[in-house]
Formats: sequence, C-alpha cells, structure tokens
Amino acid sequence: MAADWRSFKPVLIPDIPNLDDIDVYIKNGGYEALKKVLSDDWTTKSVIEEVKAANIRGRGGAGFNAGLKWSFMPEPDGGPRYLACNGDESEPGTFKDRMLFEYNPHLFIEGSLIAAYAMQCSTIYVYIRGEYIDWIKMMDSALNQAYEKGFIGENILGSGFSVNFYTHPGAGAYICGEETSMLESLEGKRGYPRVKPPFPAQKGLWGRPTTINNIETLANVPLVINNGADWFKNIGAENHPGPILYGISGHVNQPGVYELPSGVPVLDLIDEVAGGVKNGKKLKAVIPGGSSTPVLRADQLDGVSMDSNSLREAGSMLGTAGLVVIDEDTDMIDLLWRIAHFYHHESCGQCTPCRDGTGWLEKILLKIKNGEGEVKDLDLLLDLTTQMEGRTICALADAAAWPVRHTINRFRDEFEARCKKSVHAIA
Amino acid sequence: MPEVFIDGKSYEFEGQPKLLQFIMDEGLELPFFCYHPSMSIPANCRQCMVKVGQPVKDRDTGEYELDENGERVIRWFPKLQTACNFDVTDGLVVKTQESDELVERAQKDNLEFILINHPLDCPICDQAGECPLQIQTYKYGPEGSRFEVKKVHKPKRVQLGPRVILDAERCINCTRCTRFADEISKSYQLTITKRGDKNYPTTAPGETFDDPYSLNTVDLCPVGALTSADFRFRARVWEMNQTPSIDVSNGKGCNIDIWTRDNQVLRITPRHNPHVNDYWMPDVGREIYPLFNDNRISRPSVILDGENQIKSSWNNAIETFGEQMEAIKPEEILAIGSAHASVEENYLFAKFGNLLGISTPLFTPHIEPGSGDGFLITDDQAPNTNGVRLLGFEETDSKQLKTAVKSSNAKMILLLSDHLIDRGVLSADDLSGKYLVMFATNESETTKKADLLFPITCVVEHAASYVNVDGRIQRSFPAKETKYTNRRLDLEMTEGRLDRYGTKFDNWVTDENKVDCLPVWDLMALIGGRLGLDITYEGGSREVIKEVSQNMPAFSGVTYERMDDELGIELDTEHQTVKS
Repeated sequence: MAADWRSFKPVLIPDIPNLDDIDVYIKNGGYEALKKVLSDDWTTKSVIEEVKAANIRGRGGAGFNAGLKWSFMPEPDGGPRYLACNGDESEPGTFKDRMLFEYNPHLFIEGSLIAAYAMQCSTIYVYIRGEYIDWIKMMDSALNQAYEKGFIGENILGSGFSVNFYTHPGAGAYICGEETSMLESLEGKRGYPRVKPPFPAQKGLWGRPTTINNIETLANVPLVINNGADWFKNIGAENHPGPILYGISGHVNQPGVYELPSGVPVLDLIDEVAGGVKNGKKLKAVIPGGSSTPVLRADQLDGVSMDSNSLREAGSMLGTAGLVVIDEDTDMIDLLWRIAHFYHHESCGQCTPCRDGTGWLEKILLKIKNGEGEVKDLDLLLDLTTQMEGRTICALADAAAWPVRHTINRFRDEFEARCKKSVHAIA
Repeated sequence: MPEVFIDGKSYEFEGQPKLLQFIMDEGLELPFFCYHPSMSIPANCRQCMVKVGQPVKDRDTGEYELDENGERVIRWFPKLQTACNFDVTDGLVVKTQESDELVERAQKDNLEFILINHPLDCPICDQAGECPLQIQTYKYGPEGSRFEVKKVHKPKRVQLGPRVILDAERCINCTRCTRFADEISKSYQLTITKRGDKNYPTTAPGETFDDPYSLNTVDLCPVGALTSADFRFRARVWEMNQTPSIDVSNGKGCNIDIWTRDNQVLRITPRHNPHVNDYWMPDVGREIYPLFNDNRISRPSVILDGENQIKSSWNNAIETFGEQMEAIKPEEILAIGSAHASVEENYLFAKFGNLLGISTPLFTPHIEPGSGDGFLITDDQAPNTNGVRLLGFEETDSKQLKTAVKSSNAKMILLLSDHLIDRGVLSADDLSGKYLVMFATNESETTKKADLLFPITCVVEHAASYVNVDGRIQRSFPAKETKYTNRRLDLEMTEGRLDRYGTKFDNWVTDENKVDCLPVWDLMALIGGRLGLDITYEGGSREVIKEVSQNMPAFSGVTYERMDDELGIELDTEHQTVKS
C-alpha cells in the first residue's frame, strides 16, 4: 500500500506560481520528458511500453489503460494520423481539466507531444468545451509559447519529429465529449456518435487512425516518463494508480479541485479535504464520479475509497472523480429530476431509446416532483431504464438510465412518499 | 462454404454480407426503419436488434470447442446488436424475435419509444397503408401505451421545397432523407436540426429543398413526415391500383409504378431496377402524370370544311382515311415516326407504310443538349430514341425534315405521336397544303392542324416497350382502362382492392375517365382492313414484339416474358448507330 494520502505532494498542479508561463515551467523541469523521449535512448515503442506499464487509466471516465490504447494504432503508412485530446468535460460534477488548462497547460501539452511522438501522429487537436472561452484563450497562448520555443512545429528539437497542435472550441453539446461524436464535431459535422466498429484507431478523424485521450490522462504522461512507471504505479490504489484531480462540489465547506492519490476514502475527501458538510448538516448521499455515476447513500460509504474496484463493490463507479456531496436537506426527487433534465437536454437524438427515453424519464420525474406521480410510475421508470441501457450507439443512454435506476432503488421510500396513492389496485 | 445459424437453421453465405440484408435476402423478417440498401448504415433507429454469438475456438487446435452435449460453445455478445451494420461471419449464431424473448421484447420496447412522440394520426396521414411504422407496430409493437404525459410538439405543414412538405412531429429521425440528399442526389440541402426528441430534418435557414430528386425522400420516409405537396390528401393508398411501368419523361427509362384510382393516374413512384435507376427517379418524371389524365384526345376528329376540326365516329374516320389513300400515290406520302412512341407502335407504323409502298419513315430525335445531369435526367427528352433508330427509321434534323415536308412531292403526311410544331421542329406554315394524318394521345398545337386525327392509347393504357439511352428495352403495362378495355378481363392489368371487393354499382365507380382511343395495333387492323391489308394481331402488342424480334436482328430474343423476368433486356446494339 502506498503512503498515506495526507503526505502526498501535488504533481499535476504543483504549488508553483505562474506555472502556466513556459519559462517558469521549463525552470521547474518542464519539457525534459519530451527531450528525453526524442533522444536516442527512447523509441516510439519503448514510450508506449513505459506508459502501458504505468497503467495510467483513462481519466475521462472509462478507465482504460492509456498505453494499451496507444498500442492499438496501426503501423504508420505515410498518411496523416491524429491525436485528439478530449477537453469537453461537461458532465455535472466534473470540472477538473480546466484546472490543467489554467494552472499547468504545458504539462498537458508536453504529455500530448510525447503521445503524438509515440503514436507517430502528425496533428494534435485539443477539443475544449465552448463554455470555457477563457480557458481556450489560455490554451492558445500556452500553445503559442510552445511553438515559439520549438516544442511544437517542424523538426522538434532537431529530432526530425514534426507535429502541429490546434485548439478547437466545442459549441455547447455534452454529447461532443463522447469520443467519436467529438471526432464528428472536429470534422465540422453534427455531433452524432459513430457506430463502432470501426474504432477510431482504425478509422478516426477523416477516416485516418486517431487516438482520443482525456486531458488529465495526457498530463500524467510526462510524469511517467520522468519518474518511471514504477514510481507512478506506487501512487494511490493498486488497480487504478496515479494522482487524481478530485472535483468536489455540492454541500461541502470547501468545494474545489484537489490533487491527491487515487484511492482516498470518500469520507476522508468530504470531511478532511473539503472541510466537511456545509452548515454542520448530516451527509445524505454522494455521487462519486459525475452525474452519470450511481448515487451512494451515506450508509453505503463506510470504507469505500475512490478507486474503481472499491466503488464497483459499493455499487457505483469512479467516472471522472467528480464528487457531488449531498446533505440531508436535499430532495432526491428534485435532484434526480435535474439530472434527468440534463440528459434529456443533451441527448443528441440519433438513437431511438435515448432520444425518446430521456424525455420520457424527465417528464415522469417532473410529474412525481409535482406530487402527481403514482407508485406505478416508479416501476415504469425502472422499466424504462432497462429498455434504454445497452441499446444505443454510445453510452449516453446508459448515463441517463443509471442515475434514475439507482436513485430510485436507493431512495425508494422517499420517492414513494411523494407519490399519491395509486388509483389502480396493487395486486 | 461458410455458414451462419439464424434461429437454429443453417444458411450458407458468400462474401461479407451485413446481417440485416442477409436476413432479408433469405426471405426472413426483421423490423427496421433507418436501413436502406443503397445508402450508408447509421444504425440509429435501433429496431433491428438481434442476439448474436460467436462459436468459441480452441486457440491451439483451431477447432470449435464443444460442450458436454457435443454442441458448439457459443460466446454471446453481452449486448443485443443491430443487424443492419453487423458483419456475417462463419459460424455466427443469430437469434431474432422468432426465437428469443429478449430480442422480441427489445424490439417492442424500441417501438414503444418511437411511438410515444409520434402523433398517431394515421387516419389523416397519407402514409397510412404503406407505412413501415404502422406495419411494424402491428407486427412487433406494444399493445396500448404507457405514455401518460405530454408529447413533444414540433413544426407541422412546413413547405421544405416546392414539392415536399414536412410534418416534423411524425418524424422518427431515421435520417434517410438527409442521407439521400448527401449521398445520392448530392444536393446537401437537408440536415437534422436541434437535439434529442426535439430534432427534425430541415434545410439551412432561407434555403429551399428544390433538389430535382426531392420527391425520393417522400418515398424513403418510413413515416408520413415527408409528403408530396401534390399528392397529399389526394387518395388513400388502398384505393389505388399499382401498375409497373416505364418513365417516358426522358431517355433514361426509369422503372416506375403508376398509381391509379378510377382510371386517373394520381401519382408515380420509382420501382427498383439495379440496372437502370436503382430505387430513384427524378421529380420531373413524377410530375408528368397529368398528361395521362388531362387533355387527352378522345374519339377521332376530321377537318370538314378545310378549317374546323370536328369529332367523328371511328367508322367515318377510317372511311375518310381510306378515301384519301385511294386518291394518292404512295410516293406522295411522307411517314414520320416518333421517339415518343413505343417500339411496337413505330414498327407497325413502318410496316403499314411498307405494305403500301411508302418510303421508310423519318424521325427527329428530341434531344436537348445540356439538360441532362449525368444521373437520371438525360439530354434525350424522348423515351424511345434508340428503339426508333434500331427499327431503321431515317434520322433527320429539323432542317432536313422541313425540306422533306415542304417538297412538292409530299401531299400527305402520316405523323405518329410527335408534336413537331409544339417542339419547334416544324412551323404551322410548313404543313400548309398538306393532308396531315396524325396518331396521337394528347391535344396540342400540332394535333389542331391534323386533317384527320386518330386517338391512340398512351403508355399507361397499353403494354409496349421502349429502348432507353443505354440500349435497354423495357416495357409498360396497362394501368388505365380505355373505353374498350376492361380491368377484369385484361390479364395484364392489376386489380386493386376496389376492383376486387367493389362492384360496378359502387358510387365511386365512374366511366367518365375512360378515353375513347385505340392501341395502334387495333387501329392498324381496322385501317388495314379498309385498305385490304392484313395487319391483325390477335395477341396485341405481345404478338407485335414477337414479330419485331423475328424480323429485326437488333431485337432478337426479345419477349415480354424475358423483359419481365430480367427487368428489361440490354439489346445488342453493337452494329447499330446508338448514341446516348
């Protein structure tokens, strides 16, 4: 077991002033990892092997080993290859990547360059959600600095490796955070998720091999190169190692993004890191990884820590480690309706079960919220979640169905109390 | 050969078919909406869900692993898969709604979702009766609805373009229309707007959907969201008769269906023919249907006092023709055939002249260079230019024809179905002093000049063949009754519900829409009889084409049976002058 989280020193967003300035970044050892991999000591293969060994699990929610994902890219055939960085974080409860854009953009840029080198990509796009206007500007100026210093562009550091790096603003659609939908959006099309197979590694942007990584995932790459896979693997939880940016929001005294090792106990995060539940209220529930992850009741949290295994055992998921803390005064019906409203609003409308299912869920929840629901509506809701889950092209239907199913199951009494007596006899 | 197991039965396959297409090709059934064999596969309707599994192979031996009963061990996909985009592979095991309750339930669930925001206004919807959503809901859908909240409301009666109207509430967002505009007609005029259950297809702001192929989206639409501005509310589908035919609006010869009710053609839709038009046809081909109903020549006419054309009886017209012919030498007669008339009609026209010693008929192609688009609209404005060429007619241009007509030799002109004055080949003056005998279907400036006018059947009233720009001979079927034909007696004609279940005394049946005209083969028999020639064809056009195929090398082996079986026949035009 790794050292206690309390003694952890941040590495993704270290406490160094003006780190977003490239000179400060370089002074603190920045771009050394890039120089290292471009030197003769490293090959593209060995970079991928090192990252694979470090087991950086994708921070965008799916938790897939980043190095393994890179290894799916086919052999170069002389045509263009792309790295698409997903900075479209738009799920309620998730707001970690913008910290990197703001406080340590060069770490992400350096990681992307290493990734592009390892996969022999010629172009890098960073897709940033449209609402992050200021952060897009920050990224642009960081990219300009890196271009000026020769870290991006033609023949980087005399290595013969060339790459271009572009920011691309989203236009306000949550669905564009889904990786293939993001590719469509990057191509200038309507953000509809693509049917897989073919997978992006085979046919991605403009039909060419493409890898999509989360911003935080890429920011971990220089750390792995500089300190080695073993160092990384010893941080935090064994099956999901590394530092994690925990976004803590909701009813806590000090909401914010905190960098800590993976596997911090949920209750420690709330009580010690975020300063406890606001106004001395009692904790009612936690949504551990963004609004799509199943809610956990306070009594389910004993001994649960923020790693994928522990959360799975407890009946939820790590997601993007964006915790939403819910106090005892919260109306769960209201909360669930608001989540359902979000997914209804954001469903792209391509697949039938999601397009019509998300709207139906929201409308029934609104009815219950207004005290006009019946108990049979709860069973209908549960039925609809089964009808939606796993029947669509992308996972948005699942993301819409899970909160409904689990919130109703875990707070059934509260929901039933709000329903009026059914006019139908219950057998 | 590799095999696939569908609902426990083994099927062999070749190549790399997609599962849904394979299932349909095998004559099995699976509900679907968005899939179309000629367009990309978006897999967005999620209706064709099936359960699929792969047999497990031993890694070392490559043999299939067997369970204790000796059956192959199957590794099932964790989720149901859409069949439309699923590749059929060797040993694949598929369970459809026929053999798996989960699949049956999933399809029902999906239809429930599709229906919650669908207006269910079938009683006033044009699509009812030919609606995939309606049909599949009856077959696979849920009974009743659990939807007790408010439906989404969207724009209705939106005029997307001159010919297409959108009812966005009925739309199930299958994207067939937008894919058609992107992939087939390449006008890129349609897109989906908004998100989730609020989305619907539309044009960019200020743009009109005036794609020359726009009406194909109406056929493609699996619901009544896109309707034809012209046809909507005109007829219920089940009231009409559907008859296969050929588009005569240009030289491509798109395969079509003629939809008639009470002897009026109400609409034209494309019929699948992979060799000619696939599933599509241009809008112009559909818009010509009034030609078959309106402005038709009914009963013969003669000019009596040198000026006024008056209706005449058939006997009188034929007698007049006989008298005129007797008073004139064959070399004083000029015969002009037509690329707008069928092979059979032109053949008989030439044969008639030949028997009388009249020289080979002339014809002027009706080609407007630059009006084609390289897809289904051709420069050639006539359906049978190649047919007339292959029959050996003498091809002339406007100038040559004028000279021939105006020459003092020509005293009588026999003109088959070509409105030469209307299309500017001849002027009215060119014809002055000539005795014009015309065989035609519709009234025009040209027919007004005819001293003797015989009404003949048009493409929707007879079976006749046309050779398209690519040298493919295809044929029509009678879709409309004339005064002398009867749907119940003519075995070539289709019967609709009204024919089968109605009676002659039903109040919707009227004889008013029957034109008093004759097919050329029947007319030639009558005229021939008057002139002492034997030109009788008991079997009608079927017998005429038989004779054509025997006498004309280019048409050898051509029969209606073959045309029907092979969706038309590519003629051997190698030694003929065939231009497209």
